[in-house]
Amino acid sequence: MARLPRKAIALLAVSALVAAACSSAAATASPTATPTPAATPTPAATPTPATSASASAPATAFKIGVVTDVGRVDDKNFNQYSYQGAKDAADALGASVSYLVPKDATEYASDIQQFVDQKTNVIVTVGFNLGNDTIKAAKANPDIWFVAVDVAPCVDATGAPDSTFACKGDAATLLPHLIGIQFQEDQAGYLAGMVAAAVSKTGVIGQLGGINSNPAVVRYMQGYELGAKAYKSSVTVDSGFFSTGDITKAYGDPVFGKTFSQQFISQKKVDVLFQVAGATGNGALDAACAAGIYAIGVDVDQYQSYPSADKCIVTSAEKHLASAVSQTIKAINAGTAKGGISKFNAANDGIGISAFQNTSVTLPSDLQGKLDAALAAMKAGTLTTCTAQCGTWTGK
Amino acid sequence: MTRRVIQSLAEPLAAIVLALLAGGIMIFLLSGLVPGRQPFDARLPIDAYGALVSGIVSFNGLTSTLVYSTPLILGGLGVAVGFKAGLFNIGGRGQFLMGSIASVAVISAIGGATGPWIAIPLALLAGALAGALAGFIPGFLKATSGAHEVVTTIMLNYILFYVSNWAIKGPLTLPRAPQPTTQDISELNGALYVLPFTRDLHIGVFIALLAVPIIWFVLYKTTLGFEIRSAGANPDAARYAGMKTRRLIVLTMSLSGLLMGLAGSVTLLGQVHQTSFGYDTGIGFDAITVALLASSNPIGVLFSGLLLGAMRAGSPAMQSQAGVPPDLINALQAIILLFLIVNVLRRVLARRRAGTSTPEPAALTAGKYSTESVQ
Repeated sequence: MARLPRKAIALLAVSALVAAACSSAAATASPTATPTPAATPTPAATPTPATSASASAPATAFKIGVVTDVGRVDDKNFNQYSYQGAKDAADALGASVSYLVPKDATEYASDIQQFVDQKTNVIVTVGFNLGNDTIKAAKANPDIWFVAVDVAPCVDATGAPDSTFACKGDAATLLPHLIGIQFQEDQAGYLAGMVAAAVSKTGVIGQLGGINSNPAVVRYMQGYELGAKAYKSSVTVDSGFFSTGDITKAYGDPVFGKTFSQQFISQKKVDVLFQVAGATGNGALDAACAAGIYAIGVDVDQYQSYPSADKCIVTSAEKHLASAVSQTIKAINAGTAKGGISKFNAANDGIGISAFQNTSVTLPSDLQGKLDAALAAMKAGTLTTCTAQCGTWTGK
Repeated sequence: MTRRVIQSLAEPLAAIVLALLAGGIMIFLLSGLVPGRQPFDARLPIDAYGALVSGIVSFNGLTSTLVYSTPLILGGLGVAVGFKAGLFNIGGRGQFLMGSIASVAVISAIGGATGPWIAIPLALLAGALAGALAGFIPGFLKATSGAHEVVTTIMLNYILFYVSNWAIKGPLTLPRAPQPTTQDISELNGALYVLPFTRDLHIGVFIALLAVPIIWFVLYKTTLGFEIRSAGANPDAARYAGMKTRRLIVLTMSLSGLLMGLAGSVTLLGQVHQTSFGYDTGIGFDAITVALLASSNPIGVLFSGLLLGAMRAGSPAMQSQAGVPPDLINALQAIILLFLIVNVLRRVLARRRAGTSTPEPAALTAGKYSTESVQ
């Protein structure tokens, strides 16, 4: 037994030596750093460096905080481009920006609160999962601006989140500092449909969505069909959905997405496939590549974000997340922003299709002109890009 | 006595200090990757740890440490109870989810009609029982067919995750919700009471703090606890001594699941309030770390739970104030845990070399060490 304490003492002695060495190194590198890093586990030892570090920015600076959804900030998807938008705005305004990636659902509320505590001016939250906590935080902190990406705030008469989704309360007046960013997906889908019809050789094109009860997915697909038919009225559009209810299958399962898409491609004999299904849809892109047909990506420029399928991706129907977030923050800073839903579409550079980067695809010479004309008509508000029941799937 | 306490505290503290040093060196080496920092920026580790500490030692930091620790302590106790009997419960993820879902179900069924004084205890009870049931299944399988609990609990994690998903998008989902979501139970008088003057400190914290002495008492002062420890130390000897080891396996796994279900229930009632499709946490696995760090000692679980909870509470400040990327924070936490676990392992090995330990299942060697140090 006598061996153990000696070992423990030896351990402590070694750590003290290393700590001393380390602290002197730190001290020479930056003379202002007083306490040793090793002293940090005892809480009382070093409360000062944090405050001095965070206080380095002037108190009057405009501060932007982004709470992403679970995952990564460089996911080449919603998290990344929403943060990019906040960063663009911060650069333009000379503001500071930082982000938090919650580890799991238990951290949503406390991560938002973290930015509230830091007296952040604008808090951006990414995605539906954070919607409820964002609304609650907006209600509790009426002086802070909240930007909820891809959320339509639904509140009851008191401004609290409405779990019956009757949305009786007017979010724009009850929570005037909460902005829900929404996109007009059918316009992006319309442009993608035109491209699909243009590059198709057989005149049979396909699209696969996650679930037919998701209005955003359906809007993309309705726009796609109309756009394809507008380019060439003889084109056949085959539509399918990965799942009727299982969200993991619908949006989170690329392996399932690939096998499902392979069957779809061989049965329907499509030669262009548009995916509206998140990670499951990435499997559809893989399947399209394997079958030697063209694919069209969704939400972000998937030629960039999903390089393993870039040899068959023609373009992507994009939500301009970065542009939308950046515009919204700039409007808040300028004092011109209004609460409620902020709709982004062709008119305010909210949607579009990605630049044609795939040189192996030969595009008809008339395509770019027709796309430009369609985009101009969308901006003017003279082009119908969705069906009468926009967002409700009425097909088979 | 005091020598033993100092002795048992010195090594973990030294391990933490060394781990923080190693983590600091790692942050220093990788500081070029952090936006707005020079490569090899000696200030970054200091800023990072400063932010970590500032995120923990403020009043709100302390309360959120307690809040984050709550499920880790309860879950850690669950895993520790299993370890004591030589059972490795990896099914925490599923048991946790069952606890959450059962509580949501009870609150959304009766929370609006009855007051919180009836609804909340019922919801806690339902959560605990659902977790116990999820633990009972692998226990029963092991007792009757010998199916190893590591295999069955891992498999059950998947099954129960999908059961939970089914419940969220099926019977529990809100009509007209754009994506499957359950009711926000804080609207229904169904949330655990948050203490006045605090932002998030709910009374579920006291359930966890109370569970520590209870489990300690059960393990060390009751016949059941003696039987659990005996079955863990040497199942053959326990059977020879007339203990019903099969019944013990079922009981222990159920108790382990019960604690994990309670963790899920308390997290939901006090912290999350609402589940969306795909609801999941890492607590079922973090609880294994908590139990291992504590060498399956209930009192140790309290401290290791608090340590992990503090790291969770401090990491947002590290991200947002010092700009340390979350990946680096995860790596730092892993380094700290690694140092602590190596420390525990080193002890176990030293003991084994000294010949004081009989060959035992790997999961239990840690438990053996703690039974000696606690009394």
